[in-house]
Amino acid sequence: MKSFEWTNAASLDEAIAQLGTGVMVKAGGVDLLDRLKEGLESPRRLVNLRGIGGLDNIRSSTGDDGDLVLGPLTTLAAIEAHAGVRKRFGALAEACAHAATPQIRNMATIGGNLVQRPRCWYFRSADFNCRKKGGEVCFALEGENQYHAIVANKVCAIVHPSSVSTALVAYGATVKLKGKAGERVVPLEQFFVLPDKDPRRENQLGADELITEVRLPAPAKGTGAAYHKQTEKESFDWPLADVAVVLELDGRTCKRASIILGAAAPVPWRAKSSEAILGGRAVDEHAAEAAANAAVQGATPLAKNAYKLPIVRAIVRRTILAAAGGAA
Amino acid sequence: MSEDDETRGITRRSFLTGTGITVAAAGILKTTEALAESVKGGAAVGPGAVPVSLKVNGSVHQLSLEPSTTLADALRFSIGLTGTKVVCDRGSCSACTVHLDGTPVCSCMTLAVDVGARAVTTIEGLARGDKLTPIQEQFIANDAMQCGFCTPGMVMSCAALLARNNKPSLDEVKTAVSGNLCRCGTYPKVFAAAMAASGQKLPRGSDVVTHAAELHFESKAERPADEPPPWPVNSKLKIVGKSHPRLDGRLKVTGKARYTADVRLPGMLFARRVVSPHPHARVKSIDLSAAERLPGVKAVMIVGRGEGAKLRNPPKVADKFPLVLYAGQAVAAVAATSQSIADEAARLVKVEYERLPFVVELDDARRDGAPLVYPGAVDMGGSAGGGGAQKGLAQKGNVRGPSKRDKGDVDAGLKAAELSVDGEFKTQVQTHSALETHGVVADWREDGLTVYASSQGTTSVRDEFATVFDLPKSKVRIITEFMGGGFGAKFGAGSFGILAAQLSKKAGAPVRLMLDRKEEHLCVGNRPSTVQTVKIGAKKDGSLTGIVVTSWGNSGIATGGGVGWMGTSLYACDNTRSEQYDVFTHTGAAAAFRAPGQPQGAFALEQLMDELAEKIGMDPLALRDKLDAGPGVPGPGGNDEATRAARKAERQIGAERFGWSKRRPAGADGGPKKRGIGMAQSMWGRFVDLDASCEVRLHRDGSIEIMSSVQDIGTGTRTALAMVVAEELGVRVEDVAVKIGDTQYPAGPSSGGSKTLLGITAPARVAAWRIKEQLYKAVGEQARSMPLKKAAAKMTTEHLSAQASRSPDYGGDPHGGYGGVQFAEVVVDVETGVVKVERMVAVHDCGRVLNPLAVQSQINGGILHGISYALYEERHMDRATGRMVNANLDQYKIAGAKETPEIEVVLIDQYIGRNATDIHGIGEPANIPTAAAIANAVYNAIGVRVRELPMNPPALLAALGKVNRVKEAKR
Ligand SMILES: Cc1cc2nc3c(=O)[nH]c(=O)nc-3n(C[C@H](O)[C@H](O)[C@H](O)COP(=O)(O)OP(=O)(O)OC[C@H]3O[C@@H](n4cnc5c(N)ncnc54)[C@H](O)[C@@H]3O)c2cc1C
Ligand code: FES
Ligand code: FES
Repeated sequence: MKSFEWTNAASLDEAIAQLGTGVMVKAGGVDLLDRLKEGLESPRRLVNLRGIGGLDNIRSSTGDDGDLVLGPLTTLAAIEAHAGVRKRFGALAEACAHAATPQIRNMATIGGNLVQRPRCWYFRSADFNCRKKGGEVCFALEGENQYHAIVANKVCAIVHPSSVSTALVAYGATVKLKGKAGERVVPLEQFFVLPDKDPRRENQLGADELITEVRLPAPAKGTGAAYHKQTEKESFDWPLADVAVVLELDGRTCKRASIILGAAAPVPWRAKSSEAILGGRAVDEHAAEAAANAAVQGATPLAKNAYKLPIVRAIVRRTILAAAGGAA
Repeated sequence: MSEDDETRGITRRSFLTGTGITVAAAGILKTTEALAESVKGGAAVGPGAVPVSLKVNGSVHQLSLEPSTTLADALRFSIGLTGTKVVCDRGSCSACTVHLDGTPVCSCMTLAVDVGARAVTTIEGLARGDKLTPIQEQFIANDAMQCGFCTPGMVMSCAALLARNNKPSLDEVKTAVSGNLCRCGTYPKVFAAAMAASGQKLPRGSDVVTHAAELHFESKAERPADEPPPWPVNSKLKIVGKSHPRLDGRLKVTGKARYTADVRLPGMLFARRVVSPHPHARVKSIDLSAAERLPGVKAVMIVGRGEGAKLRNPPKVADKFPLVLYAGQAVAAVAATSQSIADEAARLVKVEYERLPFVVELDDARRDGAPLVYPGAVDMGGSAGGGGAQKGLAQKGNVRGPSKRDKGDVDAGLKAAELSVDGEFKTQVQTHSALETHGVVADWREDGLTVYASSQGTTSVRDEFATVFDLPKSKVRIITEFMGGGFGAKFGAGSFGILAAQLSKKAGAPVRLMLDRKEEHLCVGNRPSTVQTVKIGAKKDGSLTGIVVTSWGNSGIATGGGVGWMGTSLYACDNTRSEQYDVFTHTGAAAAFRAPGQPQGAFALEQLMDELAEKIGMDPLALRDKLDAGPGVPGPGGNDEATRAARKAERQIGAERFGWSKRRPAGADGGPKKRGIGMAQSMWGRFVDLDASCEVRLHRDGSIEIMSSVQDIGTGTRTALAMVVAEELGVRVEDVAVKIGDTQYPAGPSSGGSKTLLGITAPARVAAWRIKEQLYKAVGEQARSMPLKKAAAKMTTEHLSAQASRSPDYGGDPHGGYGGVQFAEVVVDVETGVVKVERMVAVHDCGRVLNPLAVQSQINGGILHGISYALYEERHMDRATGRMVNANLDQYKIAGAKETPEIEVVLIDQYIGRNATDIHGIGEPANIPTAAAIANAVYNAIGVRVRELPMNPPALLAALGKVNRVKEAKR
């Protein structure tokens, strides 16, 4: 790691004021330190957010049943352990509980998790100057792409590294962004951007912006949700595929479905045709299977990752059924 | 949930605003304000050293650190608390776990400046003085450690769990350590320790079953007159045969065990190598000037020696620099006053390469016209130990061999067959991934070279240093106090070790050169990938008429990528042919790895045996009973009469304990999750190392020492030697001081091939026996009936000393071998392709069982290596650039706590009376059959054969016909 200047921000505004070329913010530091150690980046200054008070809380906007509001420094461990989250946003608690290792979950913040850079092994190695770093090629397209994207993978085949965001997007989360020019609220789904336009970025965070809040709307009555992360190992592992399903149900009938695939695309990927199939239908084995099959229709797997298709089908089907079974 | 429902942060803020609390710090009093200084907002500090105070284990340390210093490095190098280990340096192994205000975190991913007022607890801070915490005590009692390198992290994870949950469930324990990697496979015992520390027992399957059978093959051969008569059976002995916790357990659970990575010498410099990112290249120029100018840099050098195999007709080299033969080969090296300066200096070295054509995959390298690794024939025996690869073999392109073994007339045998089974099997590259990387601290001085080495053979390492530097052996000393795993890759000085010694000589100071995790994957060995075709001809009654094994192994720039000798020699067959080829690629040298070649061979052979059994309608065990019988084959290969008798007993005992009779036809389960069981056998030789010597001393005060250069790599050698000597002398194990891991003592065997205890325990007993005889001679025969201490008091000299070396097995060869039979139960999810091993029963022999607890640990370790190999591990090479892309510990996937099945270890006693102790090793046999047993269980579950490793979702789903995998040369 190259040496840098270090400052502890006393407030978010103070941190934002410092943002600029060569300056990076540090939350839990898990992702940042990995990149610095590999020599992918060498900031002149690190602005530490971790010491700022009041940004690591979990609350309900009103009473016990309002929107879920997460401070940007809330750790994945705190979210996983929070009784209210477990009760009302079970798929999010599951996603947090299955991300990384217990130690990392104690350090990793939700803000950092959403802004972490991809885990593509070409991107993570200083030996490869890939498109994400301004180079000419995506090495994964013709190379080792076992863990890469199966959709939207023509320009750069990364999968988004945040498995937590799979659940957040399914719940319709928004993020509040604050910059020098002020605040804006963006649906998380739109926060993430595909590589087509600019392969060097994964989101639309402005150069002088920070995430100041993550908010999940209160689930409608009769909402059932489930999350599943399919890995090779059950001890910590990156997902081969993960999925979050949030169903608004009226009895067995699905009024609205939100189905998000993780580790399938460069962004959390909405399985629109699957959602359409479930809409207005009773959720049973048949419907779940039809929706699951639709989830990977039109996928464009690479040479070594076609095996992901049957996995996605299986976990989408199972997770739809689990969500329907667990409706409150 | 309410508006101000806070989860964290209160402690810190009240700490920041609070006043008046004082903490005692090594006699100095500090206020909390001083502590909080480093987290205060506002002013920017650095780059360059800044003041940081850390409260560690109750003491405050005022340090001066670069802001980029991690907490792990601050603890280890600035404070000297080296119990915290750094393994991956990236958050993916949890070896570096410390508590911050009681919460376990990775200290490698925490900056020291960011700790602030939070209290740091390290492994050194758990115990209260001499009083260990219950979890530490239980780690020792349950032998929840082998090499011990992961142990501090494991203990810290468990301690944090127990602090917040005093009766955790087994699942909660597994989750708590799910981020902790252990390469030795101690997980089952970690679970047992955590449960015991909370007053609970594991539900089942943690106790080792001993004495399941007793087999006697008393040798009629004469023993030498200066060796004692054989011991009686274990039940008549006091210490041998009974479980004993390891003597160094306390050092390991308190973080005090000192590994090479922990060694700090006055004036010690830190080194880093400059490695080539290209797999095949000519170095055009190297510019060291920028590195040399960097303050703190003390020595910079260009690597003068090439790597790779010796050529029969070496070309006259015109090149100024050695040729680069794989990505990761060092071209230069630097030594500086800190690791970060050394790293920076290494980046400043400018190297100009001329890139040359290369090939990294086995199939590619076999093709005509593939870029050549070597311009001519290679002239060396097998360095990776995978069987075959003698000197003088033919070579065409990158393919060298075959190394041939022929018996009978195989063509006629196959013609005479009534039926046959055959198949092509593929296995992947597995890197050793010991948690302590390869490395040394080399101290070159006028009067000799001292090297602290993470090594599994102090003597072999010394000999290599002596040869390379043309020094007398008497002037080279190797010290391996503790070492964090080797598994076959740490027998030599290593090109890195040579570099460190050269840097030390140049700088006139000790130099520490520990490889980083990436280099560890790339440069210091691996189990070669293989492709093998095996054909077995048989009669309808199951008798074999012919076996042909043909294999190709990716041995990188080395030799020895064979598939062992099991295929043609485990089962009775008169006509066999084995032809094994090495294939060179531009990748790091293959190296011996826990039973080199055998797991690959077993994976093919044992699957085909099951296929044959199915074809002729026989139970797989019955077929093995038929073919693995009779007088056997004398010789060291592992198939004499005693070994066959052992396996027979093991099959029977295992079948009963496992519930083999409940085995169902293949693919019997409906639904997506299918359960299956399978078994496979092991075969390994008893290799006797005659270079195994030790000295026992008895002092006048009755205290006893045993000394040998033999090292303890986590197998428990230290404890084993104390047990043997204590048994012979009639004292307590704790009364024997064991001094090992240092070449200033008599030369001991290396730790490999399951030959350490087989080599060293016999001379240990003989030396102890000789001491007694000397004592009785010195103080009179009446002493025979006295306690040792009383007799020793009468000695006229301060101490008596006796040396002994391993004598050849009584009666000379044959040596025979090890059996071992393993049973596996798996669940296969046919929709996701995920295989989970739920249960293993492992029945093994290792001669006279010395310490069941330690043997169980070794067997657990072998099985976990096997599971990890069978299902998860794989080296991914980018074919376009020739680089390994997953040279880390999150994408190179190693089995963790949740991949650990319930393992039942069953031991039989075997007395063959061929040396003074009859004690054998066990490291290898436990690893050989695991992947094969799992493969057979997978078949039983799904009715489809998986003929490639790892059996991961891509492989399973392809075998099930659920994906059309693009057919492509994968390895
Ligand atoms: C072994 C291992 C396994 C893992 N497995 C998983 C997994 O399964 N699923 C998963 O989702 N993740 C996984 N991770 C990733 C981990 O969760 C992230 O690295 C972590 O969440 C990052 O959070 P942080 O607070 O440490 O971020 P930091 O490292 O501090 O920051 C990450 C990036 O975000 C920026 N940033 C931080 N906070 C803000 C903010 N408030 N506003 C704007 N920008 C900000 C930083 O500048 C930086 O660029 C794994 C990590 C490891 C090491
Ligand atoms: S060394 Fe810190 S997690 Fe591996
Ligand atoms: S004991 Fe765990 S790595 Fe060796």
